[in-house]
Amino acid sequence: METEMVKKEQQATAAQREYIEILGDTVVPVRILSAIVISICLSIGGYFLGKSIFPKIAEAKMVGSYSLLLGIAGSVIGLIICANLFKPSRILTEEETSTEGLEEVLLSMQVDPGAEYDLIKDDPVTKKEMEELGILETFKRSGGRA
Amino acid sequence: MSVLMISILLALAGAIIFSLIGLVSGTDETAIMVPFTLLVILLGAPPEAVFSFFMAAVLAKHLTHAIPTALMGIPGDTTAVPLIDHASALRRLGVPHVALRKMLSGGLIGAFIALPTAVLFGQFLGQFADFFKSSSGLIFTLAAILIAYFSKGKWVSVLMIIPFAFFIKSIDTFSFSVVEKHLSTSFFLGIAIGPMLSDILFSLSPTARKGMIRQSAKEYHLAPETKGWKGFFPNPFRVLTGRQTAYTAATSFVSSLTFAFSPVGMTSLMGEIVGSRNKGVYKKSTSSLASMNGVTESTYIAEAIIPLLAFGIPLSPVALGPASPLFNAPPVFTSDPVNNLHNMMTPWEFFLYGLIGLVIAALIAYPFAMNYARKATVFVMKNISQEAIVGMFIGLACLLAFHEAQLVGVILTLTMAAVGGLMNRVLGVSSGVQFMIFYGSTYMMSKLLGV
Repeated sequence: METEMVKKEQQATAAQREYIEILGDTVVPVRILSAIVISICLSIGGYFLGKSIFPKIAEAKMVGSYSLLLGIAGSVIGLIICANLFKPSRILTEEETSTEGLEEVLLSMQVDPGAEYDLIKDDPVTKKEMEELGILETFKRSGGRA
Repeated sequence: MSVLMISILLALAGAIIFSLIGLVSGTDETAIMVPFTLLVILLGAPPEAVFSFFMAAVLAKHLTHAIPTALMGIPGDTTAVPLIDHASALRRLGVPHVALRKMLSGGLIGAFIALPTAVLFGQFLGQFADFFKSSSGLIFTLAAILIAYFSKGKWVSVLMIIPFAFFIKSIDTFSFSVVEKHLSTSFFLGIAIGPMLSDILFSLSPTARKGMIRQSAKEYHLAPETKGWKGFFPNPFRVLTGRQTAYTAATSFVSSLTFAFSPVGMTSLMGEIVGSRNKGVYKKSTSSLASMNGVTESTYIAEAIIPLLAFGIPLSPVALGPASPLFNAPPVFTSDPVNNLHNMMTPWEFFLYGLIGLVIAALIAYPFAMNYARKATVFVMKNISQEAIVGMFIGLACLLAFHEAQLVGVILTLTMAAVGGLMNRVLGVSSGVQFMIFYGSTYMMSKLLGV
């Protein structure tokens, strides 16, 4: 119920927005640019901060490495800030797979449910495995009916 | 701190970070492995620890990327693409959790077969190392032509070799005149984040963005949760049937030897072979998934180890992509002349520190994926936006480039990423080809132009 509400809410906001697809997921253009700017500023900023404070407290040859670490810390903080500022725009639907549909699914994959069950039945190892997983019954029902 | 302790700690860090990264679907391995591995190297970790880190990261990422593949039907990364058909079949049958368990167990078995196989085979090939090292420029050039032809761009990729080498050499010469050293980290990062940056560039251009616009946010369908075993660490040999274990072991062993081929290609091929030997959707899909995930794991591990141990120069798709910092990360590692893990570690150390990485990743990622797959997916999907992830990687790349050569490094990385990324996205000149051309560019230009 709750997820359904969340979904509706997301869809309502989704209707007004335009998304672009980057590396297989949708993002809002303004947000991605802000995220990049924030991340670059924090990581390079961390590095600069390290370059200015570490020479006083650390050995000279370690200054580079420590500054780099501070830069990484900056980019991790950037990740946390951006994750909080920009909520994901994906829509997550939690599926309930109905066992009733198994026969139709098999038929749509051009598989004969009866033959599928026969193959499982004739193989004791697979049969036992499916029994333990509690899914043999479903296959039996769909195969038995055909 | 002893080398052993640092190795264990870094392997732990790699396993934890990459278990989480694996949950983010569609992530590009090269774009992610390269910056993190470079960081570990530049922070001054000993070579053994770098290797343990890398092995742990590879295994952890491959185990957890099985989660989006099985539960949502979207590939965890490019190596998971060939698994999608079988995974969706099982998802539609209402048993995605079975798909996930088979993949995880297969992956684990594949990894532990690949390590000793690769170390032994690498040692055997090592006797030809002198030949490979002395003619590396020529080998890179020939290999660039070969893998260019087999990339998506086919002849375009081949045609682009000389101009691209010329381009690389030109910006190398120019940046040398400014900072008085030859850059390489900045080049790598540019090639690695190219596809990511070109997507962003497309979206900024009024003429190009049409193809990128989506009217609605992407929808993901997540399967329900079921747990079918007691305890915390399910025995992989019990998850797989005897036959499936045998198939997985055999295909993983064979694919550990074919280190020069693409992992995706080997995975598809082995999946077809195993699939054709099993009848019935359930049996075919579960058996294929177990062995295919075993193969992605074994090719990855073997393709990193064999060229590293035998030659010290990157001569496999993985060595050219995600594992490239192990070969070349100046000033620490260089591949021309060879001064990297190849000279710094014995075969026995490769085995030992590789094993440390794999065992630690197995102890963390495997039970994590088996027990918390669904919860973790929901958390990441609901809380970590793609904006934040892409932002972080571009930020990290700029940081590393800046560390190498200040502003020149950053500009070089962005230039390289823009040109390489567009060539990749528009023409199909893949990152692997671009890395190869980068390695061969000095040789090609000196032969052609005498500079």
